[in-house]
Amino acid sequence: MPFHPLPAEDFLNRENELDYLKGLPLLKESALGGNVFLEGARGIGKTELLKQLYRSLFWESGTVPFYYSFKTANLKGTYFAKDYFTGFVRQFFSCVMKEPSIVENAAEPLQRLMPVIASVGLHWLVDCIEDFREHLNSNDIYWQIVAAISLPATVAQKSGKPVMVMLDDFDTAERLYESSLGDAHGLISLFGESMKNSLCPHVMTGSAGALESIFTDPSLVGMTERMQLGPLPEDLAVRLFKAHLANLKIACAPAGQLKFLAILNGNPLYIRNLAKAAWKMQKKELHEKDLIECYCFEVSEGETAFYWSSIFGRYVQSPAKRRGLLKLLMLSVENEGVDDGDRLVSGLYGTEERAALDALRASGVNRGWDPVLRDFIRCLYMKEVEGRRADDVREKIESNYLSEREDSRFELVIPMSSNAELVVAKAVEQIGRNMNFNADFLNHLQLALIEVCINAIEHSGSYEKKVFLKFITKPDKLEIIVENSGRPFSHDSRREIPVEESLRRGMTRGRGFKLVHAIMDDVKIERIGNRTRVILTKNIDERIVEPGTRTL
Amino acid sequence: MKSVQFSVTSRLAGDAAVIYPKGYLNSLSGESLVNECGIYIGKGITKIVVNFSETGLINSIGISLLLQIIEDLRNIEGTICCTNMSKFLQDTFEMLGLIQHMQVFPGESDALKYLNAKTV
Repeated sequence: MPFHPLPAEDFLNRENELDYLKGLPLLKESALGGNVFLEGARGIGKTELLKQLYRSLFWESGTVPFYYSFKTANLKGTYFAKDYFTGFVRQFFSCVMKEPSIVENAAEPLQRLMPVIASVGLHWLVDCIEDFREHLNSNDIYWQIVAAISLPATVAQKSGKPVMVMLDDFDTAERLYESSLGDAHGLISLFGESMKNSLCPHVMTGSAGALESIFTDPSLVGMTERMQLGPLPEDLAVRLFKAHLANLKIACAPAGQLKFLAILNGNPLYIRNLAKAAWKMQKKELHEKDLIECYCFEVSEGETAFYWSSIFGRYVQSPAKRRGLLKLLMLSVENEGVDDGDRLVSGLYGTEERAALDALRASGVNRGWDPVLRDFIRCLYMKEVEGRRADDVREKIESNYLSEREDSRFELVIPMSSNAELVVAKAVEQIGRNMNFNADFLNHLQLALIEVCINAIEHSGSYEKKVFLKFITKPDKLEIIVENSGRPFSHDSRREIPVEESLRRGMTRGRGFKLVHAIMDDVKIERIGNRTRVILTKNIDERIVEPGTRTL
Repeated sequence: MKSVQFSVTSRLAGDAAVIYPKGYLNSLSGESLVNECGIYIGKGITKIVVNFSETGLINSIGISLLLQIIEDLRNIEGTICCTNMSKFLQDTFEMLGLIQHMQVFPGESDALKYLNAKTV
């Protein structure tokens, strides 16, 4: 199937919209409607809805689906025309033959397809291709674009089958140009004729409010209805998240412990990215605190951060201007709205930063300021303006959400040098005394930490040559986080080797983690980017504290 | 727990050698312990007592180097006795599965008595 949609069972709560869109050819034929402008926040599932519609039409109906994404399109007229034209021919022929590989095999030149197209009697399509080739040869850019855009309507007339034209991120088409950016405003209006055709319903996606600004012809606005795609309701968001986790073989806490998911505002893209972050961080079981951790990774370094970062990249390229824009955005975020930000920074920033902000506004990026976008901006600001390290940024965001009371938190950084682990042992000895641990457990705790530190020092191959430790003491447990950059743990280093085998093979290593597991109640090993994080947890009970010192 | 600089001393008690590891037992110091035992084994001593009363912090590599001494003594049908071990040390040896490959006594004299009796 072209464009790889989600499995139908994981595509939730969009049945009504899907059914309505499937019925568009009928509405258009009877002049009751026919073009839809699909609006909604980024990541809300507009593209996925188009893919599902495509799959459904491709296999189950007499309507030919055509999907074109302006997100990734080259907007130079000649490239666009060729891409749009060949894309349509492939998709149409693929649908006629019910052979998805025709679309997927984009490297095969159109010329090679022509004899096959002719062999099934589609001679008129061969003529269209020949005509287009003549426009190419005569270097007539205008007619290349017109021929490409009108091809779906032409094919619908010739074949007698309706063609559903799906134009993803259609407002980007406003930036189509001939030879240099901005030299040909209004090329987007060439879609008007195709949109008026009674056999060609159009479904376009774009940012909210963009419709009026992209069509100068009011009749086109008039014949296009808006469909607002909202967020998934809370229960379905949880269901979708759990479905993703199940696919990734991650166990999930009961729904009550997934309250933090609400921050994603029912956005399917965020939900999917968060599940993937849990997988990347090697979580085996997900509780509220893990969710927060994964979320902070996502908005600072994960796919969500990458997604937003690339969108920002479209509007401002130079690092200096980007910093200026970030300062503006940060003010907006902290003041709960762009207007406040405007007022506060009035006169402080250059016209280009303001222009970029206006472009962002027009694109709808910062409309509504969802909490994820806010956190992404906070992260980007801390990294690019304040120059903070990624893990520091993550921690700052995390601390906003960790509501659990922490009695105290100690941090320690040691160099990866010989006997540095003794410093850690000394530190944990004092922390343990503060917590009234008995001498026996203190020794065991020191041993466990020494083992984890030695492993980091000896096996990570880190260029940073530092091990970061954090001790979090709570009334009922001690949590120690040991983090370092470099190589991940090898499976061998975690494999238990019987003494007899060690004796036989003269092995003196490979037992450290056996000890750590025996001493601590929980040992988690996670990977965050190029860093390895070991989380050691010990529940505090009367067996490990001095008699009479524990009060419940 | 003491974490002084590691050192190893020893003495002969009849036909047994008594070894005193002192300080942090890690990979480096574990090797000097192995070398010290190796010197006695080289001289034909087959009974070794390791007195852990002065041993401070340890790590798994340091402890595991004892495997080498165990293996060397096994090859010459010798015996290794460990004494004055803290509960922590005993627990750790147990966790690592080493305890069944050595004789453990509360004090040095108990071990020497056992080894003497073994000769008779």
